This record gives sequence, C-alpha cells and structure tokens, in this order.
Amino acid sequence: MKRAKWFIAFLMVVGFATMSLAGTLDEIAQRGELRVACQTQGPPFSFIDKNGKRAGSSIELCEMLAKDMGVKVTFLDFDWDGLIPALLSKKADILAADMTPTIKRAMKIGFTKPFMFTGSVAFVKAGSPIKTIEDARKAGLKAAVLLGSTGETDAKNSFPKAELKSYKGGGPLLIDAVLQGQADFGVNDSSAVIGQMANFPPNSLRVLPDLLSKLPLAFAVRYDSMDLLELVNLFFLNVGLDGRLEQNLNYWVNTLDWKKDH
Amino acid sequence: MSRLKRRLIFYKRSAMLETFNFRIILEYMPLFLSCFLATLWLSGAGLLGALGMGILACGMRIGRFKLLSRIAYVYIESIRSTPLLVQLFFFYFGLPSLGLRMSEAATGILALTLNSGAYMAEIIRAGVQSIPHGQVEAAVSSGLNYFQRMRYVILPQAIGVTLPPMLGQAIVLVKDSALLSLISLPELTRAGQIMTSERFMPAEGFLTSAVFYLVIYYSLKWMTSWSQRRLIYMQP
Repeated sequence: MKRAKWFIAFLMVVGFATMSLAGTLDEIAQRGELRVACQTQGPPFSFIDKNGKRAGSSIELCEMLAKDMGVKVTFLDFDWDGLIPALLSKKADILAADMTPTIKRAMKIGFTKPFMFTGSVAFVKAGSPIKTIEDARKAGLKAAVLLGSTGETDAKNSFPKAELKSYKGGGPLLIDAVLQGQADFGVNDSSAVIGQMANFPPNSLRVLPDLLSKLPLAFAVRYDSMDLLELVNLFFLNVGLDGRLEQNLNYWVNTLDWKKDH
Repeated sequence: MSRLKRRLIFYKRSAMLETFNFRIILEYMPLFLSCFLATLWLSGAGLLGALGMGILACGMRIGRFKLLSRIAYVYIESIRSTPLLVQLFFFYFGLPSLGLRMSEAATGILALTLNSGAYMAEIIRAGVQSIPHGQVEAAVSSGLNYFQRMRYVILPQAIGVTLPPMLGQAIVLVKDSALLSLISLPELTRAGQIMTSERFMPAEGFLTSAVFYLVIYYSLKWMTSWSQRRLIYMQP
C-alpha cells in the first residue's frame, strides 16, 4: 500500500512536470486553434472590409501560418493599446499587427524578426498651411497620435512644442481628428496612413515629406512561448523565400490593390 | 532611512509584493494627481451644469405651459432612454459634422450636463411633488403668493428630500466622467490607460485610478451625511 502511494505520487509529479514543460505549441496543437490578437481599425494590416469580413495583411499571414501549422485560427479584436495586455494575459497566443519592436515593449513580450520596414510620417489636411516638417514644429500646434504607439513617441521627439492628443482605438481616428480640425496634424506609421487614407475622400489629406523615423514591424509572442517564436520566425523565412510574403506586402501595403476587393 | 523606503524594502524581502508595483505608481503619481484634478473640475463643471439644467427642465416640466412641459418631457425621455456613451459619441463626432466645433473638454462637460440634467430634473420633480398638498393649501390660505410659497414653504422642505438622491446622482456623474477618457480627455481613467500603454501594467494603473475614485466617492458620501444632519430641521 505504501509503495502504491509513492508510485501515485511519482506519477503526479511527472504529470505536473510534463504539463508545465508543455510549450505553447503543444497547447495550440491540443486546442487545435491559434488565437491571434489583432486590431479592427488598422487597415491595411487588420480591419473589417466593406463586406463585413476580416481582411488585411496580418490577417492573411496568420491564416497562412495556421494552415501550415494544421490548426484553425481565431481572431480577437483589441484597440491598439489593448493588444499587448491581451497577449500578456494569455487571451491570445500571438499578436499580429503592424507593431514596432521597441526595447520597452520587448521588456514584456518577445518579438519575431521583422517582416517589413516602415517609418513615422506626419500628415495634414489638404488645404493646411503646414507644408513641411519645419512648419509643423511651430509652437502651439495640436498633434493627433495613437495611444501607446511609436507615433506618439516620435511625435514627442520630433515636435516637442506640439500639444499631443492621444486617441484610444486605431489610426483612422487620427485621420478623422485632422480632417475635423481637432488636430493640426497627425503622426503615425507611413504604411498605416497610406492604407487608411484610402477610406477617406481622395485628396483630403497630404502626407508631409520625410520620414520621422525608420521602424521595423514584427509580430509578438509572450516570453513563455519561445517555441512559437521560433516557429513564426521560420514561417517568415519560408514565406520570404517562396515569395508569398512579397505577394502579401505588394497587395496590401506597397500598393492600394486591396482597395478594389475590400 | 525614510519610513517609506524601509517599508518598500520590507515588501521586497517578504516577496509577497513586487516593489516594482509601488515604485511605478509613485513614478506616475504626478500624472495621476493632475488627472485627478482634471476629473474633479470636469465633474464639478458637469455637476453645476446638471443642476442648472435640472432646475430648468423641472421648472418647464411642472410649470403651467403645456408646450414647455412637452419639450422638457421629450428631452428627459430621450436622455434616459439612451446610454451616456452613445450621447457622448454623438456630440463628439456628430456636432462637428453639423458645423459646431468644440474642444473635447467642452463636449465632455456638455454631455455630462445634458445627461445628468435629465436625471436631476426627475429627482427635483419627485422632491417637489412629494410635499403634501396640505402645505400648499396652508400656504395659500396664509396669504402667501406663488414666490413666497416656493421660497419659504415648498423649496426648503423639498431640498431636504431631494438632497440625498441628488448627491447620489452626483456620485454617478463622477463615475460617468470616466467615459470622457474615450474622447481623449486627460482624466483619471485615461491616466490608467496611459500607464497601461507605456508600462504594460494595467492592474497597477487602474487600481490607482480606482483608489482616487474611492476618495471622491467617500468625500461626496461624507458631504451627504453632513448635509443631511444639517437639514434635519427642514424635514416636512
């Protein structure tokens, strides 16, 4: 009887040990589902198209990834500043958005290798007197930025005299604010601005020349999911080599081809 | 060594709480304090506006003119039937498209005023109508005219009855002001959001916001009981 008890205890210990050693990939495989944290207001990376379906560069990449992994994909919506908390609280396995790997963010979550590069730009309403970055540096102007984005940090660095207005939600809110006159200019990623401008009347916005910063974009996972991180890096390597990544970026980001279908 | 430092080291040693939590909160305290003040003045302005709006709407509602009464009725019903957030977004996004451009603070205070004003109107109406008609009859038979009646008999008694629910609505208004964070106004809830987006510590951020709201709640509650003790002489 005593030996049986020890044996059961031993089995339990081994069981718990293997459970805690089970990586995120095993959990995902067991669940049969990859949970992705993404935005709803982030064209061209992740948004709801005019047919009411989810569309975007990151959405398509995650669908490809899940197909290759052999699991189904579930997308969970968050505001921009809610993406990282969602990942950290284990609501999602992976964060798929146009997020820049900053050191501050990397203290909490692990980023994949970048899948593309962009930069922050400033944009103004079409008839605005602001023509260059220097004009925008004047004191007393209002800058629309996205709460928790690199655009917010870049705006603080590039336009120290501007009054920053942080909007919670997504990039289109900034464009809205600039068009309504609540802000004199906005600062966001170039790829996001160009993609989102397409949803507004043509020629209503002007992007100021010169990038304010150079930013890589990557997906992210938690630091307890290093196996998933390796997998996603391998995925990006593969789609980079077989041309699917270039196809994806050319359709969604580098041109406005997606506008025809979505 | 200061007492605070000693306590922080105790927490670190006891390993029950990460010092990091409190250090971050201390680091962000200036932000929370300035947002606390912003919440106070936004709620305060909203409250004053709501009071004025409530008195006006109530006056229209129980007054003699049917037209004014109907206008007030429509206003009160449309506010009570829709969520504050919907009203807030309607003002924030809708008014500019009608050509009316206001600052975010003005929009926020307007939404709070109109929203709480409707509820205040109902509270005041209930208070005024709760005064037994015998009082009105006694006042009339004592020779008081309408204004004297209101000033010396009806309103003093009505205030005693109305004050508790009014202060309750004030507490609701302060909590409603949290929604103003969604039109990017710097107030307590937004402070928690900023701490979340800059440091990825939502628990610490929103806990601190909650503590400040608690402070406001208890201050208002103390004011309620203080005023009730004072007004006990004015009960009908």
